[in-house]
Amino acid sequence: MLILLFKRKIITLKNKILAIKGWKIIKNLLFLSVGFGMLGALYVGFYRLLSYLEGIQLIGGMLSWKLTAMLFLITFSMIIVSSIIISMTTLYYSFDLKFLFSCPLDMRVLFLDKAFETVFYSSWTLMLAIFPYIIALGQVKGMDFGFYASYVFLVIPFVMVASSCGIIFSMALMYIFPSSRTRDIVWIMGSLSLSFVYVVFRFSKPEKLIRPDALEVVAQYINYLQAPTAQYFPSWWLTKAVMSYGYSDWSAFLKYSLYLIVLAVIVYAAMTYFSKFLYMKGFSGAQEGVKFKGNDKISFEQKIFNLRIPYKDIILLCWKDRKLFSRDARYWSQIILIGALIIVYLFSIKSLPLDGPDIKSLISFLNIGVAGFVVCAIGLRFIFPAISLEGNNWWIMKSFPISIKSIMISKLLIAGIPSILIGLALIVFSNKFLEADAFISAVSIFTIIIVSITISIMGIGLGALFPDFKVENIHQIESSYGGFIYMACCMGYLALIVAIEAWPVQMHFAHNFGRANAWNFTGVGFCVAAFIILNAVVIIIPWKLGLKNLEKYEI
Amino acid sequence: MIEIKKLNKTFGACRALNDLDITVKPGEIFGFLGPNGAGKTTAVKIISGILRPTSGTVCIGGYDILDDTIKAKRTLAYIPDEPFVYPKLTGYEFLRFIGDIYKVPFSYQKSEIPVLLKLFDLSAFTHELLETYSHGMKQKLLIAGVLLRRPKVLLFDEPTVGLDPKSIKKFKDILSDLAKKGTTIFMCTHILEMAQKLCTKIAIVNFGRLIAEGTMSDLKRIASIDADGDHSLENIFLKLTDSEF
Repeated sequence: MLILLFKRKIITLKNKILAIKGWKIIKNLLFLSVGFGMLGALYVGFYRLLSYLEGIQLIGGMLSWKLTAMLFLITFSMIIVSSIIISMTTLYYSFDLKFLFSCPLDMRVLFLDKAFETVFYSSWTLMLAIFPYIIALGQVKGMDFGFYASYVFLVIPFVMVASSCGIIFSMALMYIFPSSRTRDIVWIMGSLSLSFVYVVFRFSKPEKLIRPDALEVVAQYINYLQAPTAQYFPSWWLTKAVMSYGYSDWSAFLKYSLYLIVLAVIVYAAMTYFSKFLYMKGFSGAQEGVKFKGNDKISFEQKIFNLRIPYKDIILLCWKDRKLFSRDARYWSQIILIGALIIVYLFSIKSLPLDGPDIKSLISFLNIGVAGFVVCAIGLRFIFPAISLEGNNWWIMKSFPISIKSIMISKLLIAGIPSILIGLALIVFSNKFLEADAFISAVSIFTIIIVSITISIMGIGLGALFPDFKVENIHQIESSYGGFIYMACCMGYLALIVAIEAWPVQMHFAHNFGRANAWNFTGVGFCVAAFIILNAVVIIIPWKLGLKNLEKYEI
Repeated sequence: MIEIKKLNKTFGACRALNDLDITVKPGEIFGFLGPNGAGKTTAVKIISGILRPTSGTVCIGGYDILDDTIKAKRTLAYIPDEPFVYPKLTGYEFLRFIGDIYKVPFSYQKSEIPVLLKLFDLSAFTHELLETYSHGMKQKLLIAGVLLRRPKVLLFDEPTVGLDPKSIKKFKDILSDLAKKGTTIFMCTHILEMAQKLCTKIAIVNFGRLIAEGTMSDLKRIASIDADGDHSLENIFLKLTDSEF
């Protein structure tokens, strides 16, 4: 039966591929080439990094293995978190679950089908991203084909262990707290705990450990490099197994490979066993709605709506989106995590070991790019998916007497304003911690406001250009080719902004260093014009294309 | 009130609608029938402005659905076969949202919403989230939303799916009342008995083409039913759609 269920996925995939015809072939080939290009760039980056590390005398070899161990540990944790989030949808809210439950299928078969789906969705992007690193590592270390084959063989139990842990956690959560409201609270508490651990970990300044000057003697540093990184975790066993292969230490290779495989079998067996008791109850609980009591109080927006003002539709749509946002616990947990990210970001800025006011101001300027990246990441999570998240309810918007433009503007206001505020907060506090001079502060504050507005508008525009009203979870929107294009555009835009502003900033520093006639006002004028043109292009083109596409979009 | 001229719609190689010409006058209850895949839902979606036609025009109350989209949409109300609604809004909030979008005066909304919710036995669920509503309850809420905005044209795609017998009876009575007051009603349905009793005019489509249109007497004539033959709409429908093959 499980094979039959897998077959339906293969047929679906085959049909999807066969449906790619005409210009869609060119489009997909283009995205595929860009994707391979990015993987190639990652490979070059990793290769250079690993070659550099390998070249360091005495400790080079140890450093690259240490890095590998840390990378595997991070990957392991990320797969666990991803599988917790994804399993909540795949195991309990998939559109085909009601049909599958009504079929004469063994519960275990149904569960395994959905569990494998979770394993795949929670790990494929990470596995793809880590692959260039593995190739680079193998090349730098002069490994043969067997190294890659053993990695591919061992990464399967590694991923299985991580995903299964996440699935078991989700099942336990849904079993203990079957009511949606209780689950929401637990979900938020979980996010709070994760954020707390993250913040505390960062505040403990772990970078001291990897900075030799922070340790008293060199021996201590070498001990640190040789010490296991989370030795009881599968990430360490995977590192040790591939490392042992490199050193042709076959007994160690077998030992750690066995550890991984045996643990994977145990965790898989435990997951399958517990699913018999946990899954059905959790699924039933998930079908119950949230116990909620509303009232007929008139909201702030509705009060405004009753006044004689323009753009009433937009106000009303904002009210609707605000209500939906405030009642969906999945968003709250993400806001908590973003809060933690901001705290850690600002703490990292504060902890930067910088001497001299000019270097601090320079870092403040470069910080525009980093803060912009944070705004992009928030945009990918909250702004780009805003249109697609209308989902099955898009028919309401399409049949209502409201323009598509009003819908897009309302989405921009609801999702864009918070990201502008976050970007502003990051820059203002960073400037304060870095004691940036008045010129750099003004430039960076002005830039982040414009950058945040542009990134938000571009997010709504591209979200409208690549809408998908049939997705089951937000991660599918983020990882779609539209999401990929949005991030690529954001990165390109940020790079250009920093490049355009670098010239006047350079003049400012030259002036500070006392160079005569440091300011070239023609150059400044050129940069201002380039800044305006770039922003206009990035705002107008995606917005217009998105608007046009959404007006013609058929459901 | 609804004027459809030379309406065509193609999806790739598939022609869903083929030169459809229909006129529905004010106060008419127009039944739009056809086998599965005949193009009924496509037609309703185009009339409501959700889909764009490949060619042809649709005018609602004199407004072209493509050129005067907002004015045309303000004239009509549409209920799809699957009642997708915002799960995190309450029933009351959803009706307020509809009322405000259609610029229904607040004082009217305030007095009418409780009446409508009571009419459809939804009073006890007024402040519950819509994710807790059943399929039928969502359908009833959408009908209540239609009544709140008092449109001149009503479009229904399988309106009684999920409704209990009591609600179906209530729904039929409401439609008759609205038609008497001049509301134009365009309805796709597979319940031929309901169409026969309720509709003043019926059209049958098959493979995207209009194969018959008129009153029950017109349809009998088109289907060449003898005086002593089975005069039910079911028989007419089967005869007309079978002869297509």
